[in-house]
Amino acid sequence: MNSIQIIFTIARNTFREAVRDRVLYNLVLFVLLITASAIFLGELTAGQESRTIVNLGLSAMLLFGAFISIFVGVSLVSKEIERRTVYAIFSKPIGRGEFIVGKYLGLCLTLLVNILIMGVGVSLALAYVGGGSLVFSIWGAIFLIFLELTILTAVAILFSSFSSPTLSALLAFFVFIIGHFSASLKEFAANLGSSFTRLFFDVLYYILPNLSFYSFITNAAHGDIPPAKMVGGAMLYALCYICVLLVITSLIFSRRNFK
Amino acid sequence: MKKGSTGQMFFALAVIVCSFAAVFGLSRFLEANRPALPVGFEDEDLALQGARLKGYALGFEGLIADWYWMKSLQYIGDKIVNTEKAIRIDDMRELNPRLLYPYLDNATALDPRFISVYEYGATVLPAIDNEQAVKLGEKGIKDNPNEWRLYHYLGFTYWRLKDYEKAADVYGRGSQIDGAPDFMRLMAAKMKSEGGSREIARAIYRQMFDEAGDAKLKESAALRLLELDSLDERDAIQTVLQEFQSRNNRCANNWREILPLLQTVKLPNAKNFRVNKSNELIDPTDTPYILDRAVCTVKLDTAKTKIPLK
Repeated sequence: MNSIQIIFTIARNTFREAVRDRVLYNLVLFVLLITASAIFLGELTAGQESRTIVNLGLSAMLLFGAFISIFVGVSLVSKEIERRTVYAIFSKPIGRGEFIVGKYLGLCLTLLVNILIMGVGVSLALAYVGGGSLVFSIWGAIFLIFLELTILTAVAILFSSFSSPTLSALLAFFVFIIGHFSASLKEFAANLGSSFTRLFFDVLYYILPNLSFYSFITNAAHGDIPPAKMVGGAMLYALCYICVLLVITSLIFSRRNFK
Repeated sequence: MKKGSTGQMFFALAVIVCSFAAVFGLSRFLEANRPALPVGFEDEDLALQGARLKGYALGFEGLIADWYWMKSLQYIGDKIVNTEKAIRIDDMRELNPRLLYPYLDNATALDPRFISVYEYGATVLPAIDNEQAVKLGEKGIKDNPNEWRLYHYLGFTYWRLKDYEKAADVYGRGSQIDGAPDFMRLMAAKMKSEGGSREIARAIYRQMFDEAGDAKLKESAALRLLELDSLDERDAIQTVLQEFQSRNNRCANNWREILPLLQTVKLPNAKNFRVNKSNELIDPTDTPYILDRAVCTVKLDTAKTKIPLK
């Protein structure tokens, strides 16, 4: 079996295991409930039902998608270690890097399925209230949300490769928060006098993932479709960043002693 | 099943039922004994710095803008419900809605393309605070320079404030925008010279009625159109009353006496006079006009009519 086959086998098994996780179903169900409630909430918005559904539905998708990415992501590796199945896995000719990439791709596939289900829920809600072209135009924003979650998953896996699940989840959540306003922090720092502060925030801006590149929910509520340049750039950014994270994770993981 | 475990099950169920019953009772007790909030609390601006969240809201700015929008509607709705008077959406001075502008301002700060907020502000704010109304309108145009509707809303605001020159200027700017309807050019051309005319008012309210997404705003525009129709009717009725008086040296005793004369009068916009089953002349909201024989004039029944009185 070559590396690609190994990776896909691990990814497939990871996907199968992840879809059995009840927490996943509850989170997806919760998002669908929130989307449905947006229909009723829309009655308080004087004719802005479609906008409310998009804002609430996609925001819930992002938030709960982040929970899925973080909590499933941090447990991907730690579960194998706890159950001691890592010994069985690495007794076979499977590289640590292949294992990490396979696990990561499996979770991304799980996320994709969840995002698709939630996205269909939002589209159906929009169709119900007569949302017109919004039913289709939101999928650009949904794709960007998916890309953001793939980055967050890689972050979660990185932390879980050297830290406890609880701490990893906390750190990944901080990265999610800071990643969204790192651009604003940089602007804020530019107005400060101290060059050290400016340097610090500049470094933070480039090292941490800039998740604001993937924020398109408010625009989607106005029927905007992300331009091809933006989507292309976001995909490349995600790919590069994920490569960095997975390589670092593989390096850390390859030095880890499970005994 | 063992006796012991059955007993435990029943005990557990009993505890659950009793505890829930206690929670239910305690909830009602606590609600009834909650200390009253200070008078005017509903007007305290506790959460009105939302605009500062821009850039820090994790991409949820639109959702928070929606929240401010809903809060503004609820805020006005609560004030209307709690007042005993009939309040029109375009004249809410009596409610003193102090927080309305901050709510609308925050909504548009977080989502500058939230056009409905500007539309609502243009209808509601001029009667409350001129400066705030203009400020919101100017902000909308600054953030959305290619949205012709915003020029219309600001022009409408200036028109309501009777600043016809500024209204004409704004309509002129808006008429240059791609996709702006002929209405904007008409307003730009006629506003300076005819800003106070009924023709302009009718065109503006007709446009507001056609464009309004909100039912309340539509209703407000419809009532204003009916008001204009009523003004035309009253002018025509007054002319006929004066004609009758000059012919007969007395005022008409009732509407029946002048109905034949009214049939020869043509109202603008192909409208017709209407009478009810008692042969009383009725206004566009189906309320009978009052004939004030003392001064021989026609008046609205201010107690019953839905026609705006201001």
